[in-house]
Amino acid sequence: MSDQPFWAQEDVPRRPLRVEGGIQIHSTRGTVARTWWSARFIAVLESLGVGGRMARGRNYARSGQIVSCEVDAGAVVALVQGTRPTPYKVRIGIPAWGKQDWARAEQALADDAWYAATLLAGGMPPEIEELFAGLGLALFPASQRDLSMDCTCPDATVPCKHLAAVFYLLAERFDADPFEVLALRGRDRETLLANLRRRRGSTAAPEPVAEETARPLGELLDGFYAAGELDLTRFAPAEPEPGALLEQVPELPIEVRRRKVRDLLRPAYEQLAE
Amino acid sequence: MLVVHALWSPARGVVLWAEDGERPATTSRRSLRSARPHPFAVPASQLAGIHPGKQTSITLLLPSRANGPVESPELVRRTASGRRSSEVSLTPWTVPAVVVEPGELADPAEDVRYGASVVHLRALAAFADDLAAGGRVLPTLRPGPEARWRPVVQGLDAVARRSLVEALPPVGRAEQRRTGDTAGHSPDLLVDGALDTLVDAAVRERLARADAPVALVPPRRGRAPKALPATEAWLAALAGPDPRFEATERELATLADALGPWDAVTTEETGPARATFRLAEIGTLHDPGDPGDDPLDQTGDGTRWVLEFQLQSTEDPSLVLPADDVWAGRADRLITSAQELLLAELGRAALVYPPLTGALRQARPEELDLELDEAHRFLTEDAARLLAAGFGVQLPAGWTGRRPLGLRLSVSSPPAPGVVTRGGLGREELARFRWTLAAGDEELDEEEIAALVAAKAKLVRIRGQWVSVDADALARGLEFLRRQNARRGSGTAADALALAQGAVDTPLPITSVAAEGWIGDLLGGTADRTLEPLDPPPGFRAELRPYQKRGLSWLAFLSSLGLGACLADDMGLGKTIQLLALEARERQQAPPGPTLILCPMSLVGTWQREAARFAPDLRVHAHHGPGRPRGEALREQLADTDIVVTTYGTASRDIEELESLPWHRLVLDEAQAIKNSNAAPSKAARRIVAGHRIALTGTPMENRLAELWSIMDFLNPGMLGTPERFRQRFSVPIERHGSPEAAETLRRITRPYLLRRLKTDPTVIDDLPEKIEIKQEYHLTREQASLYRTIVDDMMEKIEDSVGIQRRGNVLAAMAKLKQVCNHPAQLLHDGSAIGKRSGKVARLEELLAEILAEGDKVLLFSQFTEFASMLVPHLSARFDQEVLHLHGGTPKKQRDAMVERFQSGEGPSIFLLSLKAGGTGLTLTAANHVVHLDRWWNPAVEEQATDRAFRIGQGRTVQVRKFVCPGTVEERIDALIESKKALSDMVISDGEGWLTELSTGELRSVFALGAEAVAEE
Repeated sequence: MSDQPFWAQEDVPRRPLRVEGGIQIHSTRGTVARTWWSARFIAVLESLGVGGRMARGRNYARSGQIVSCEVDAGAVVALVQGTRPTPYKVRIGIPAWGKQDWARAEQALADDAWYAATLLAGGMPPEIEELFAGLGLALFPASQRDLSMDCTCPDATVPCKHLAAVFYLLAERFDADPFEVLALRGRDRETLLANLRRRRGSTAAPEPVAEETARPLGELLDGFYAAGELDLTRFAPAEPEPGALLEQVPELPIEVRRRKVRDLLRPAYEQLAE
Repeated sequence: MLVVHALWSPARGVVLWAEDGERPATTSRRSLRSARPHPFAVPASQLAGIHPGKQTSITLLLPSRANGPVESPELVRRTASGRRSSEVSLTPWTVPAVVVEPGELADPAEDVRYGASVVHLRALAAFADDLAAGGRVLPTLRPGPEARWRPVVQGLDAVARRSLVEALPPVGRAEQRRTGDTAGHSPDLLVDGALDTLVDAAVRERLARADAPVALVPPRRGRAPKALPATEAWLAALAGPDPRFEATERELATLADALGPWDAVTTEETGPARATFRLAEIGTLHDPGDPGDDPLDQTGDGTRWVLEFQLQSTEDPSLVLPADDVWAGRADRLITSAQELLLAELGRAALVYPPLTGALRQARPEELDLELDEAHRFLTEDAARLLAAGFGVQLPAGWTGRRPLGLRLSVSSPPAPGVVTRGGLGREELARFRWTLAAGDEELDEEEIAALVAAKAKLVRIRGQWVSVDADALARGLEFLRRQNARRGSGTAADALALAQGAVDTPLPITSVAAEGWIGDLLGGTADRTLEPLDPPPGFRAELRPYQKRGLSWLAFLSSLGLGACLADDMGLGKTIQLLALEARERQQAPPGPTLILCPMSLVGTWQREAARFAPDLRVHAHHGPGRPRGEALREQLADTDIVVTTYGTASRDIEELESLPWHRLVLDEAQAIKNSNAAPSKAARRIVAGHRIALTGTPMENRLAELWSIMDFLNPGMLGTPERFRQRFSVPIERHGSPEAAETLRRITRPYLLRRLKTDPTVIDDLPEKIEIKQEYHLTREQASLYRTIVDDMMEKIEDSVGIQRRGNVLAAMAKLKQVCNHPAQLLHDGSAIGKRSGKVARLEELLAEILAEGDKVLLFSQFTEFASMLVPHLSARFDQEVLHLHGGTPKKQRDAMVERFQSGEGPSIFLLSLKAGGTGLTLTAANHVVHLDRWWNPAVEEQATDRAFRIGQGRTVQVRKFVCPGTVEERIDALIESKKALSDMVISDGEGWLTELSTGELRSVFALGAEAVAEE
């Protein structure tokens, strides 16, 4: 339970109102932040030491109490459904970088393709922090002083569970797309990539790819029973390496009788190729 | 006939349902909002009899008219359903269905057609199995808790997945998700859901195949605790059949967290392009005039290694753009977001191949400089890892793979011509062997070997090609050469054959066997062309065509070597006559003992007849039927016999006796009978001991690898290894991956023992007559025979009691009825009953069609009975899973022309059923090179006319004409009558079948009587 004095504690917990189609985080148990970069945000939150609210916030995020959440330059704005009929408005602010700061940051990124390559492959190189630090820019908040946290709920404690919930959702967004971290500092993915392109010396703008949606069956009455052309032998690798993927994935922190899971799984992969 | 369809149901798994052409096309129920029962769907209980599984029902959205669903194009009805003109719209139907195991898809039933949705789901299951086999799977934790394997679809796999999504037929997603839904499932979700489940099943299936259970959990010392730790339980559940396991919430949370990084390895949507890495040598730009050392020179001739980055379009793999084009913006017109794609691909590749990171630390990375050792490592290790992760790799020309250093064997033997006649040649004859080291196909000389030994680098260039040098392998190779050459290099023909098959372990792989003389001809599969063609012996009463003489000498040649031979000439080229000539030839001097021929029942008579006709000196004994000699009687019989002909069935039953006899040769006719190596005929054939083995088959085995294995293993036991090894080495790479290398290796290994000439082969075609006529024998079933007898008794009575016109009518009626019963009992009874296995003629027709279709040929089937043809159309289209054309008197002119045009076009249907009257004149059907007369019109002129549909101007090939004849029935008797009369005078039988009515009652009785030989004993 909370280490706050009794008068600061919330009322007897009431169930929050259910949200239809709320945003749920995918993590169903355990910690939420999976990557080092999202962990940096959660670390600030957890340094505030409000244990019980953390857990409740996580449950809020899991049960889909967050109605909406927008990451924008300098702020995350979300609506979280609590016990009251009107959802609370949550805002987490972080200073966006100025135009000139960004110009230098973009030039530094454009000069070293490794950063963009790693980001586009879904990762974030730890060195990026130093890169920006060299320009006098901090990518991550160091402590709560670097963040502003507001919630319209009656709970006076900061962060309240609604704020906590938004943090967890944010962490998962960051995990899935590291560009969102940069978006919070003022450059969304498309703008950043376009600027990098320009600085790389190319002006052509990428065409947006149209999202293809499945045609309803009613439009497909002719050829209803016919399959499209299919020749999978075209794609079969010439020399499949059964263990390759297993060797590529990162080491896991679990073991059985001091033997690493990867090593334990190896015989299975060998048998698969038989 | 049934047409089976399949779909993936997210809630249920693989669901099969089927349409039945025998059920009513429409329903009387009016269309309401709710789904109506599908009027011609197969009941679940019946379908489960074909494909066992859990019976259920499912609601499908199908294109429909007001009173029923539109039939799938595969469905054929005996009688065409009436025209329905109402609008087609999407309507829900409740359909009985069966939920089956995924493996059931790979086990098609006979006599059933499968829709495109089944083919698609099979492809999906094969893809899932490929992912499992390639280890492109990761374990994960699912609610339950369950330990599951999930696919990791990246790179080319993602392209394959995309094409599976796009190829999904609409019927594959026709399951109605909820009442009122009309959109159907999303193809992406369906394919992903199916893959997820199929991959888990495929992994478990593969793990279960292991000889010893795969244990992932390390052994524990002491007693196991009551509840296993979660990780241990999870691992155990990954390897076992049951994915479920038990663990506390808390443990599960920890496990889920720990697995996070693996769950983050995602199945990616395909980009429109992938990165390709090209290893290239480029000049160092060092001024040749500069006397100083070139620091960049890695190769000794002014070049260095670089790895160039490229972007390759996945839609059009021939579009490859170098990185500098991408950075300059020249690629954007061709590939959307080319720069970001290249960056993302490079970022991903750097995870697999960390040295890339260094090259990326600049604004516009284009290439990676490699040290010599790095280049070697790239060639031998990294390239394969990049390929496995879905990237493209281009290696320098001449790079021959991972272990390019190998051994080369040269064998010299005397030249081939004349070897057969010389005699005394054999497997043990000595030939000169010379071993050398080779890099790929290139033989290395002393100097080059010395350079290899002295080389410090792992990559050495020899004659412009890079060779990877493994010091250990080199030392072993040299040691082998020293030992071989000390033995003064000779070996037997048998040694050379074994080495060429890869059946002998050598310290380095044998990259090639080059042989001169007869061994070379044998290994190269050219022996039949270089051997001197043999003539049949003097007493042989047929002239052999040139290619048949070559076949004869080839058979004699392999026989003299004691090597099993497979003569696989196209049907109609005369395999029987070549074998008879061989047997007759061998018996000119000292008879070598009897030869045993195994064949299907329907061919026993053919062998006897052909032997009597062409090689009357051969003493043939047909060993079948209840009266066949046994024990001492059989031995006595054999003393006076050259050839024993028996059926596969009899051989299986009498195997104890047959295997104890000394056979000169064992011949399998229609050797595809042993395609299943575990079936009784196959086992029996393998048990029989004989001095030599020959297999005759007309079906091309190239496409049926299991059959090829079975026949080759029968001929030369052990030649292709165990079935499992064969599957791994050849079946999977060839059938699944279309690997040309594996196919080439297999061809090389089997080539010495296989002689196959095609009808289209220019060296054969000139030798062939334009038309070959064959009497196609078959036997009646017991049901047919008993009906036949009844008709004869009944009709003879009527004929005896009648005169004049009435008698003529009775004779013709008897004739018609007997013809009908020979076709099929159901045609006589007019009862619309099932075709089943009730007709010997239909069974033989199916075998024949299987062969014709396997050769890619087209066939015309003529019958005078529209009813019989109407029965056959749905049956044959189900049996062969393809469209069958049917033209009869009632076919309108317009349709008739359309059918002819489709049949004549290359892609059109292969089977065309025609009524003798309607199709016998006027049409040009030269796309067919086979004509089959299913029943006889006892008038040669009419049959000739029909045959001429295929055999007319425009026909470039030999036409094979078959007439079905059952021995011991009216068919055979009248056939013989016509043959004899034809010789006398064409006049007698000039007009229709009327001449038959002129026969006396006594003559009729003997013409109609059913002989014992009409019924097969089996």
